Amino acid sequence: MSTFDIPIGPQHPALPEPLLLKLEVEGETVVGVDFDVSYMHRGIEKLLETKTYFQGLPLVERICGICNAAHGLCYTLNVEKLYDKEIPPRAQYLRVIVEELSRIHSHLLWLGVAAFEIGFNTMFMYTWRDREHVMDMLEAITGNRVTTEYSQIGGVRRDITPELAEKLLKTMDVVEERTKYYIKVALTEPTIAKRTQGVGYLSPEDAKATCSVGPVIRASGIKFDVRADDPYAAHDEVPFNVITYDSCDVFGRVVVRAQELLECVNMIRYALKNLPSGPFRIKLPMKPNAGEALTRVEAPRGELLHYTLCEGTPKPYRYKVRTPTLANLGALRVMLTSKGRYVVNIGDVPIIYGSIDPCICCTARVQFIDVKKGKTWTWTLDEIRGMSKKVKA
Amino acid sequence: MGLISWARKRSPWIAHFCTGSCNACDIEILACLTPRYDVERFGAILRGSIRHADILLVTGPVTRQVRDRLLRIYEQMPEPKYVVAVGTCAISGGVYRNSYNIYPGVDSVIPVTAYISGCPVKPENIINGLSFLLKKIGESK
Amino acid sequence: MSFEESFLNELKSVFGEKIVESKISKRRIFLKVSPEHYYEVIQFLVKEKGLYHLETMTATELKDYIEIIAHLGLSTSVSVKTAVDKNSPTIISLCNLIPGAEFYEREIMDLMGVKFEGHPNPKRLVLPQDWPTDVHPLRKSFETRHNQPLRDVGGE
Repeated sequence: MSTFDIPIGPQHPALPEPLLLKLEVEGETVVGVDFDVSYMHRGIEKLLETKTYFQGLPLVERICGICNAAHGLCYTLNVEKLYDKEIPPRAQYLRVIVEELSRIHSHLLWLGVAAFEIGFNTMFMYTWRDREHVMDMLEAITGNRVTTEYSQIGGVRRDITPELAEKLLKTMDVVEERTKYYIKVALTEPTIAKRTQGVGYLSPEDAKATCSVGPVIRASGIKFDVRADDPYAAHDEVPFNVITYDSCDVFGRVVVRAQELLECVNMIRYALKNLPSGPFRIKLPMKPNAGEALTRVEAPRGELLHYTLCEGTPKPYRYKVRTPTLANLGALRVMLTSKGRYVVNIGDVPIIYGSIDPCICCTARVQFIDVKKGKTWTWTLDEIRGMSKKVKA
Repeated sequence: MGLISWARKRSPWIAHFCTGSCNACDIEILACLTPRYDVERFGAILRGSIRHADILLVTGPVTRQVRDRLLRIYEQMPEPKYVVAVGTCAISGGVYRNSYNIYPGVDSVIPVTAYISGCPVKPENIINGLSFLLKKIGESK
Repeated sequence: MSFEESFLNELKSVFGEKIVESKISKRRIFLKVSPEHYYEVIQFLVKEKGLYHLETMTATELKDYIEIIAHLGLSTSVSVKTAVDKNSPTIISLCNLIPGAEFYEREIMDLMGVKFEGHPNPKRLVLPQDWPTDVHPLRKSFETRHNQPLRDVGGE
């Protein structure tokens, strides 16, 4: 039995981010995988060294356009550690509110894209329509739908008025009702169960060994959430539950993300009810103290880490960013490799790849190379999805 | 205005390619398909394959690795083809200007017909830009 | 005594002089060790203290040497620093101990030029295929391009 190499190139009709997945295939089963992430490399860490800490915030927010609130929050918390001043508690609560709103929008987006991967277009349209309520609230509070730059060094950019708080509570009621409907659909709809149960298996030992983060590791039963283990902003005061699930497969990740939506709604309600009064921003000088700082934040995809080394100048000497998707690539490789009785078919590749919620997307242009006959042919991702539906049904 | 250009104006088929952007513009392009903005009422469909497309939407600053892919995609599009640079990164490199891995804008690699600016572009702006482009397409023959 | 102080005292009692410098703050411990003891300190933290999660690995070019930091931890982060010679930067790989270290070490190999002995898959990760092999962008000697001129594209 010979192996073929299949490069899955970048481009995805739903979410494009160029990434090259090179699959080694024997017949229909996948036996090996390697990644090429060089398409997305923009040289951000080097660019940050040429800008001051205050100028670097717009650049950091644009590392990822979906979880930009998490990047901005991590950056501002990190830089504030270099100063010796205390940030007002009202600002920390407001940061938590916008962070959880951003998590809701990211999970709804992911539910839609995952539904699209298994061919469930209706759910894609439903979740993205409900996501628009959240985007309206983000725009009303911060002034922009995405890349909000709400969290600034020293506090937040704007305050929340009581009328806006009322509107936000009403939107949370709508989101909660829709989320309960989606949870019901996810748990009872047989097509979703057939396409996601038993697929993309990641055992707890493998999850720990590959150092994966976020809903991927929580769906393997391990309780690891930075908001609980290493609390930042106001997370040590706002109570919530860490959601885990024991199935270790794609179905578990769907359930974990859907239930986390309910937790986000409760956190926003608590934060609005117990919002402390006081200033929402303090002014900080241009030059921080020399030193180093390390901050971890729970982005919608997992643990996000920023590290900086400052020599007492307005510009950083070194700034390091580690995104959660890089941490999950090792887990992705384990999930995509057939071993023993666990078999991965080509048709399962899109949903497994989508289940780690990659912040790198690719166009699925799959090129097949038959080594023996010397023929090459190409299938698009739509065609592979079509094939996978026929096989499963 | 002949029959063909009337048909072209009424149902543009769109392909999308991301050249290393932060994804915010891509999400906003995708949000145009969803019920709130619904670009399908103008006859536009987002297609996965380049060979079926009239209009190519390009987002993102062009990274070094992606440049050859972009050229190949442009060559595979059938005539007449229109390229739209969506977002500040596609126009000039955006926040990533001066980085070692970036070309300064899509028009340093392939010819561009229209520019839609914003960081990220709002869906209303995308629809506005597309309708300007369609008016120009309709007037061209 | 806080948790961080007692943890640091325990490490100092086990390793003694091998820990050259240390610094603590809330839920953060920074240690500096010499390259010969780097592997055994991390092995102790992973096997005996249960810190199986490698958050990331950072490389910084300082004036006289390159500093490699391995950040471990679940709740409290322990960052183990070591110094590597700039002209022939080599250090032992952590992949036998923690399989998840593979991608972080590949990134440092690309961007800083440090070689990791015993790495199972030392291929390119983030830089393009046609990038020259001896140019490392994160080194201070590598200049970014400055001030490309802007052009007016016109339109409405």
